[in-house]
Amino acid sequence: MALEPFGNSAALSLGVELELQLVNTNDYDLAPYSDDMLRLMAKVPLPGSVVPEMTSSMIEISTDVCHSSSEVLGQLTQIRDALVKSADKLNIAVLGGGTHPFQMWHERRIYDKPRFRELSELYGYLSKQFTIFGQHVHVGCPDANTALLTLHRMSRYIPHFIALSASSPFVQAQDTAFDSARLNSVFAFPLSGRAPFALTWDDFSAYFDKMTRTGVVKSMKDFYWDIRPKPEYGTIEIRVFDTPLTVGRAAALAGYVQSLASWFMEDDPFMPTEDDYLVYTYNRFQACRFGLEAVYVDPATGEHTTLREHILATMAQVHRHAHKLNASAGIHLLRTSVEQGNNDARWLRERQTHERLLAEVVRQGAQKFRGL
Amino acid sequence: MNEIMAVWAEWLKPSAGLPTVQWSILLAMAAIAGHLIQRYTGLPKVVGYSAVGAVAGLAGFSGAAWPLQGISLFLLELGVAVVLFEAGGRIPLRWFRHNPMVLVQSVLESLLTYFAVFWVLVWLEVPHVVAEALAIVAIVASPAVLSRVVLDTRASGPVTERAMVLATLGTLYALTWGSAKAGLMFRPSHPLTDTVYPVAVVLGLSFVVGAVLALALRSALRVMNPTSENTSMLLLALIAAGTALAAHFGGSAPLAALLGGMLLKQLNPRPWTVPRQLGTAASILTMLMFVLVSVVAARADWSAPVVTLVLALIGARALAKITGVALANPGSGASWRQALWLGCAMAPMSSVALLLVSQFVVSSPANGPMIARIALPAILLMEVLGAVITTLALYRAGESSKPWQSQVAPMPESRDSTGDRYGA
Repeated sequence: MALEPFGNSAALSLGVELELQLVNTNDYDLAPYSDDMLRLMAKVPLPGSVVPEMTSSMIEISTDVCHSSSEVLGQLTQIRDALVKSADKLNIAVLGGGTHPFQMWHERRIYDKPRFRELSELYGYLSKQFTIFGQHVHVGCPDANTALLTLHRMSRYIPHFIALSASSPFVQAQDTAFDSARLNSVFAFPLSGRAPFALTWDDFSAYFDKMTRTGVVKSMKDFYWDIRPKPEYGTIEIRVFDTPLTVGRAAALAGYVQSLASWFMEDDPFMPTEDDYLVYTYNRFQACRFGLEAVYVDPATGEHTTLREHILATMAQVHRHAHKLNASAGIHLLRTSVEQGNNDARWLRERQTHERLLAEVVRQGAQKFRGL
Repeated sequence: MNEIMAVWAEWLKPSAGLPTVQWSILLAMAAIAGHLIQRYTGLPKVVGYSAVGAVAGLAGFSGAAWPLQGISLFLLELGVAVVLFEAGGRIPLRWFRHNPMVLVQSVLESLLTYFAVFWVLVWLEVPHVVAEALAIVAIVASPAVLSRVVLDTRASGPVTERAMVLATLGTLYALTWGSAKAGLMFRPSHPLTDTVYPVAVVLGLSFVVGAVLALALRSALRVMNPTSENTSMLLLALIAAGTALAAHFGGSAPLAALLGGMLLKQLNPRPWTVPRQLGTAASILTMLMFVLVSVVAARADWSAPVVTLVLALIGARALAKITGVALANPGSGASWRQALWLGCAMAPMSSVALLLVSQFVVSSPANGPMIARIALPAILLMEVLGAVITTLALYRAGESSKPWQSQVAPMPESRDSTGDRYGA
């Protein structure tokens, strides 16, 4: 199958997808309610969409095409409120977070849909271990070449996104010592990681053709890269975020991405090179493991700094763009949390230290998602 | 069998008495049967427990007095109380505020069951008093059998959750109404208004005991971890004390435990994981409960007229439960298919029904035997058959997380081939 042409989208338009957890209100373990939630949500007129995910305790919501992070927040809040209402009716709870802290992967059931069944056949137990919850942010690009240039520029900020959204410190009832353990599950997939270094759509199409000829991939959907072009939408899609615990933080992260993209497209601040990827995996690991306290190695200069400082410096750099895009409030929220060394992973750990019961942490997470 | 027991009693002088040895061996056999039934047929273990109890009962095993009294009554009440405490702790009252149709489903299926069974039995010329008592017993859908089936099939989802809640609420109505009714059965006839006072007394006293239980546990949970073994032991000890006290004060021990569980859920919103922590102790208690129920129920009279009445009762009950659930299904957030399986999942009758029948027999020597004559075979049949129907219903609703198959048979290719087919 040939690569489809890169579609049209307004530059810097935004689309956000959030994968969410469905838990019961008894022991707060994951509960297979996605069908019931979809049936109830179908009756409510809402922006965006609500669709099933790989296992039946997950659900994915997405916004329509938005032009600002405040519009994203408005839509996500509207969908969130409807979700919470449906969940109340079913006696379950909905929440964010990159992992469910104590669910057992083998108890999960694959959602009954041809694509999920195919993936389950191919990936075996990995598909059930894929019961992890991420946020995807789409940014509109004016043309295919700009999309690829933006994609590779954005790669330098992958550690930022990981640390700011990290909310998966617990896996299978254990503290993993990672702020984002979720991405370790993604790494198990053979077509995960970074996109190939192609700065023009022709080069990228050639790569895609070679891959399809090998029979390993059939469409762009088969790539689980951290950032991938999404030709049918005319966007690039960033996929490293853990789902935050609140829709407010999810919208703020979208605003941060949009501000960075605006900086790249308008100011041409630097040219990405293949060598950027020499430190990519190291920086990514540092961010997953230590969150905001990670070491960040600048790909251009090789200089070591703390990720926290680098994020604050970037926020200052994109200030003008954030202001222009009406994303300042979200950036302010993120900046405050960086200055205080807070992210959702830290909140989850603090709750667990206090409560010493992961099920209670999940319950409080669900309340946080409701905005309580 | 009694001759063998007599010879054995002459020969053996065990320290804890012969009944202890007899019961221990019976429980050991039940454990083996439960395991083998599940291994070779995929059916829940409770079918094996009940089968062993039924065989023992039919063979004339005399280890349990009827009507229930003494230690066997206490153990049955304790077993039921533990199950109902946990079941009550799964009912968040706020759910009914957000989804009142679930409450309507519960009330409707209970009322329909009562009237359907009552009318069918009266039509078959059963005396009014007896039909009334049997109709109350028929409301009960056993949370004990349900929770065992759920555990064995590793089921979770809307049908499982609702079946547990509706079974618990049905038990609440039946225990309140039945306990009050049992107190009035010695009177030849009484108007409906006369039942209000005894209902209030049973409910009130059980509530007081349940509230003390809930408050004691809430205080304990402030300093103890709910996952700790000691918390489980404390819970078991407090339920045992509550069970002994509730009946003494004139309340109902299982009702007190159920109300205690519900109250604790409201007072302590933190997640509460009773079944995982009570572990083997509670499992032995519930196994004993199932064996005891079938030992006693197996002594029933299986003559043709009784069989007709039993089948009529079971048929009317099943139809009423499915209809009741379906009638209030619109607006409850469940699909029609789920409503059908939910109605089916509430088929089992077991320990609570037996306790009620025992109460009726004690309080009315005149009508009690006739009530037991029809109720006991119905209970035995629906303990075994009900467990099978519930298992089927949960599988058909797609709520079990393991495939239904004999674990020694060749493994068929499963659609979900991600390792589950090799699971336990």
